[in-house]
Amino acid sequence: MTTDQVKPLARLPWFQVRLPRARGDFTWIYLWGAPLRVSHWVAALSLVALFGTGIFISQPLWVTSGEASSHFLMGRFRFAHFLAGTFLVMAGIIRVYWLFAGNEFERWPALWPFTRRNIRAMFLMLKSYATIDPKIQPHFVGHNPLAQVAYSSIYVGTTIMICTGFAMYGQSNPGGFFYTAFAWVPAILGGLQNVRVVHHLFSWLYPIFFSIHIYLVIRSDYLERGGVVSSMFTGGTYVSSHDEFEDCDLGDHPSVPWHTGEHPTWVKPQ
Amino acid sequence: MCAQPVRPAFSRRSERGPPRAIGAKRLEGGQTGMFLRDSEPWVDDETLGQHLEENGVSRRSFLEFCTEMAVVLGLGSAAAPSVAKALEAQKRPTVIWLEMQECTGCVESVIRTEAPTIGDLVLDVISLDYSDTLMAAAGFAAEKAKAESMAKNKGSYLLVVTGSVPTKEDGIYCMLAGKTIRAHLEEAAEGAAAIIALGACAHWGSVQAAAPNPTGAVGVRDIIKNKPIVNIAGCPPIGDVVTATVVHFLTFGRLPSTDREGRPLFAYGNRIHDQCSRRAHFDAGQYVENFDDENARRGWCLYQMGCKGPATYSPCPIVQWNNRTSWPIGAGHPCIGCTEPFFWDTMTPFYRRLPDVGGFGVERRIDTIGASLAVGAAAGVLAHAGMTVLHQIRRRKSTRQLPEHGAPTEDSTNG
Amino acid sequence: MASTKVVIDPITRIEGHLRIEVQADAGKISGSWATATMFRGIETIMTGRDPRDAWAFTQRICGVCTTVHAIASVRAVEDALDIKVPQNANIIRNLVHGMQFIQDHVIHFYHLHALDWVDVVSAVGADPNKAAALARSISPWPNNDAAHFAAVQARLKKFVASGQLGIFANGYWGHPAYKLPPEANLMAVSHYLEALDWQRDVIRLHTVFGGKNPHPNFLVGGMASAINLDETATINAVRLADVMGMIKRAKEFVEQVYWPDLVAIAGFYKDWGAIGGGTPNFLACGEFPESDPRDLKSLYFPRGIIMGKDLSKVVEYDHKKVAEYITSSWYTQSGGDDKGLHPWEGETNPKYTGPKAPYEYLQGEKKYSWMKAPRYEGHAMQVGPLACMLVGYASGHKDIKELVGAALGKLNVGPAALFSTLGRTAARGIETVLLAHKMETWFNELITNIKNGQTATFTRDKWDPKTWPAKAQGYGYLDAPRGALGHWVQIENEKISRYQCVVPSTWNCSPRDAQGQMGAYEAALVDNHPLVRPDQPLEILRTIHSFDPCLACGVHVLDADGGLLAEVKVQ
Repeated sequence: MTTDQVKPLARLPWFQVRLPRARGDFTWIYLWGAPLRVSHWVAALSLVALFGTGIFISQPLWVTSGEASSHFLMGRFRFAHFLAGTFLVMAGIIRVYWLFAGNEFERWPALWPFTRRNIRAMFLMLKSYATIDPKIQPHFVGHNPLAQVAYSSIYVGTTIMICTGFAMYGQSNPGGFFYTAFAWVPAILGGLQNVRVVHHLFSWLYPIFFSIHIYLVIRSDYLERGGVVSSMFTGGTYVSSHDEFEDCDLGDHPSVPWHTGEHPTWVKPQ
Repeated sequence: MCAQPVRPAFSRRSERGPPRAIGAKRLEGGQTGMFLRDSEPWVDDETLGQHLEENGVSRRSFLEFCTEMAVVLGLGSAAAPSVAKALEAQKRPTVIWLEMQECTGCVESVIRTEAPTIGDLVLDVISLDYSDTLMAAAGFAAEKAKAESMAKNKGSYLLVVTGSVPTKEDGIYCMLAGKTIRAHLEEAAEGAAAIIALGACAHWGSVQAAAPNPTGAVGVRDIIKNKPIVNIAGCPPIGDVVTATVVHFLTFGRLPSTDREGRPLFAYGNRIHDQCSRRAHFDAGQYVENFDDENARRGWCLYQMGCKGPATYSPCPIVQWNNRTSWPIGAGHPCIGCTEPFFWDTMTPFYRRLPDVGGFGVERRIDTIGASLAVGAAAGVLAHAGMTVLHQIRRRKSTRQLPEHGAPTEDSTNG
Repeated sequence: MASTKVVIDPITRIEGHLRIEVQADAGKISGSWATATMFRGIETIMTGRDPRDAWAFTQRICGVCTTVHAIASVRAVEDALDIKVPQNANIIRNLVHGMQFIQDHVIHFYHLHALDWVDVVSAVGADPNKAAALARSISPWPNNDAAHFAAVQARLKKFVASGQLGIFANGYWGHPAYKLPPEANLMAVSHYLEALDWQRDVIRLHTVFGGKNPHPNFLVGGMASAINLDETATINAVRLADVMGMIKRAKEFVEQVYWPDLVAIAGFYKDWGAIGGGTPNFLACGEFPESDPRDLKSLYFPRGIIMGKDLSKVVEYDHKKVAEYITSSWYTQSGGDDKGLHPWEGETNPKYTGPKAPYEYLQGEKKYSWMKAPRYEGHAMQVGPLACMLVGYASGHKDIKELVGAALGKLNVGPAALFSTLGRTAARGIETVLLAHKMETWFNELITNIKNGQTATFTRDKWDPKTWPAKAQGYGYLDAPRGALGHWVQIENEKISRYQCVVPSTWNCSPRDAQGQMGAYEAALVDNHPLVRPDQPLEILRTIHSFDPCLACGVHVLDADGGLLAEVKVQ
């Protein structure tokens, strides 16, 4: 890549200094299919809504006054909670479908990266986070195994939240669909109150996960320049063809200049 | 007795037991055996008047009783004549009442029933051949009465059980007439047509089964596996629900349809929360924030005071207590969830919505743990981010000191 | 002549599981053993719980004396946390507890005790007109008329003719110890049925203030039933009018039915004024505080001890002189089984050493009961209405003295007759009459407070556990319908670390202690006690029922860790 290919804005001195120098070829790799991206953002938004409304439902922060009939505050919060819940389930359905229809980075076997090599990579990731040293970090095109385990755990946690949530939702109509379909939940947990406890307990996964997740993807962008954040919008990421990756052999990929916009569709490596 | 019929809760739940013809036809006259399609043979040509006369019963008082019963059973008052007919059809059925490891509160509760009253029940409806608390005979004479009745009515008597069975130490924690109460239960269950496990103790063990359950107390269902058992849940249950169940059994020849806990649907079919007179305040966002505060004096929702109504299936809001005088939430106290199994452990602390969880040295509230973990995670993230930035700056400085390395690498941007 | 061994198990028409064994010689009882055959361990379960929940757990100790353990528990926790409840809450508790007394005593008299004195079957042969004349001669009760009695008799006849005697099967009907004429029996049976209807009406007072009965709800710091005259869901004029009606009907029934019946029936059984006295020492811890429970001067029924039937002086009660013995109980303790321990030092390690089930006799066993044996300064004690009335009588309590005197006059017996089976039954009635009158006073006080704008029912400043000291301990006393009750609580880091109860039936039903002293039941059974037909032990039932046993209350586990409490403040 040469300097004359840089767009006019970037020719300004301030930008110029900071732009990356040409360093070999880049490959744009298409990682995340549209269904996955859509489900990611739908889930993210609905989870934020679910957590916020859930907090209010568990601990109403203010009370209304006057006639009960002229207010529906808790009712609205609960409605918003249930609505967000249905969006989350829709996102979940798409994600489940995509576990079977997606590419190698999205399919269900990717959810449990527990090969010997991956476990070693996990330790390296942990070590790298602990020592704040990006150099020892193993390189992955897709999610690194540690991140993947975190995401898989969130899938499990969310499944628990959905099941306990619907189990409680169904109680207002005993004998109805949700009551019957999720009758096994209180049975397993030993009563409705325990269902509530579990729902409450697991809800705290999300603020914890959100802060770590958002931090780490931004950090990754900052350190690796891979464009992880944008990959969840565009679907792909640029990688240097000269780098080696644990989960992908770039040898088979044609190098594409990053600015041409000719995004190749994903070609299965090897 | 309130004239308003209780909703026929079990008519609309077809997935639990076969559909009954109760709901559909209950507005018809009471002459035909409309709700007995699948239980008892019914004589269509005999009028009720004849029937009652034959039996020498004061028609008016008996019908009054039957109307009350029918209402409690959710049949509507139109069904009363049929109830009357079914009850008068035979001699008073035998009931054996066994009291085990308990506080006798359930007996007291049954003594408070309005329909039928305990007097009517014992004199006119059933033949209560054994009851520790009420019977005249004692000791050997009492046990003899029980044994004789059980032998005579083998296979047809109804066994009512209050109290739990202690299982530790071979059951010596509850003895009666020199035998373990477990032996008494097994003996009495042997010839019983059905068992009514009355109250939380007989249901699952209740207070003596609360952690650490020193005597290994369990409910009837854990001991007797080969008999139909209906659990009248509650600590204690409402007496009218007990008598309604007895009359249901006598009228329809079978125990009522039950939920997954073995509780009759006609009483335990819905949550307190969904039937609560204060529900409008819940939906409106109007909560008592402390006892006797302004909101408590307006009769607002007790959700924030730890009310377990949302997790509790109970007839309290509808049937209410002691001739519909009131009920716990109606008298300003949050529900403690006493109709749900293991409520002494799962529903405590009673004044908090959620139980404490252990494992953190001291027990703490779930939200405290969750929030502190979340804050901890955020703090960790911030610290890590700060260290990463510092690390990068230091690294950049060191690469800048090596001009022979050539052009800056990709690390040099954005700083 | 060899003595006859008699076993009565179960003793029916009581709360819980009680076994009585006696030895009888020539129509007299020479030896007796009272055995509690059930054990639940509720105090062990209390450890680690929120002290504000404690009342609900302890309330389930007993469903017959429902409310009493709950009130004792909230008093103990309030004492520990230094909470003073609003006066309205105190009045409401008195009303609830008072109605408990009245209802419980009437139920006890008619449904648990009366069949010992009343031959139900003989009522079939009574003349309703004569019965009405008898009844009207003692009371203006409207249902005391021939038509009503005839209807009851017809119902009874039909019942007996059905051949299904139900709860009346195998009763000791026709026993020579039944002395009432058929007419008196018919009157009693009629009132037996009326009392059943009456009790479920008046007990609704609990439902108004506590949401249900049995086991109404209580609250540490007050009562949950808020007062607001201008709301539908609170204590308002509708509720108060209902309560006023119940108090009125309670008083009417007690005055016009229970008390006249008791006096009339007692008139036929005056010989029982010399039978079954037993333990001569009486303990009452006082009840119905009219201000703060810690202000002992405000107690309506005073506190104190009568020693050796000596009504000339009342000994001051000091709970530190209480010790419990397990010599004859199925427990072990580290300092040896003959040592008496104060409840705070008590250990409870249940260890059953009795014969393997099924067994025939327990007499002759060294240990034979789940009941411990509490003793006061080493003396066995009787508790209950008789103790309560005797202490009041000896303290010169105006109301008690007056009524006890009137009762003795009516029966034409001296005060010595109080120390007997009949005395216990009569004292219960006296107590009920006093309370039936007192309820109106308390209710009027509540109304006056509301009129003056005092509507508070709850003290909220110590509700939040964060306001509690790291360690606290408290004592909650209460004289229950069955006698002196105490709850002790110790709170550490917002949780119960220790909880103990000393319960009326533990005093009365205790087995022999280290000195071989019998408990009150046992002592009463060997005090000039007849037993005419060993196979129909009607007399034993009379005496045992006169104590109104409550076995579930009596048996409990003291804290299993056996630690020593340094100091508990007790007033």
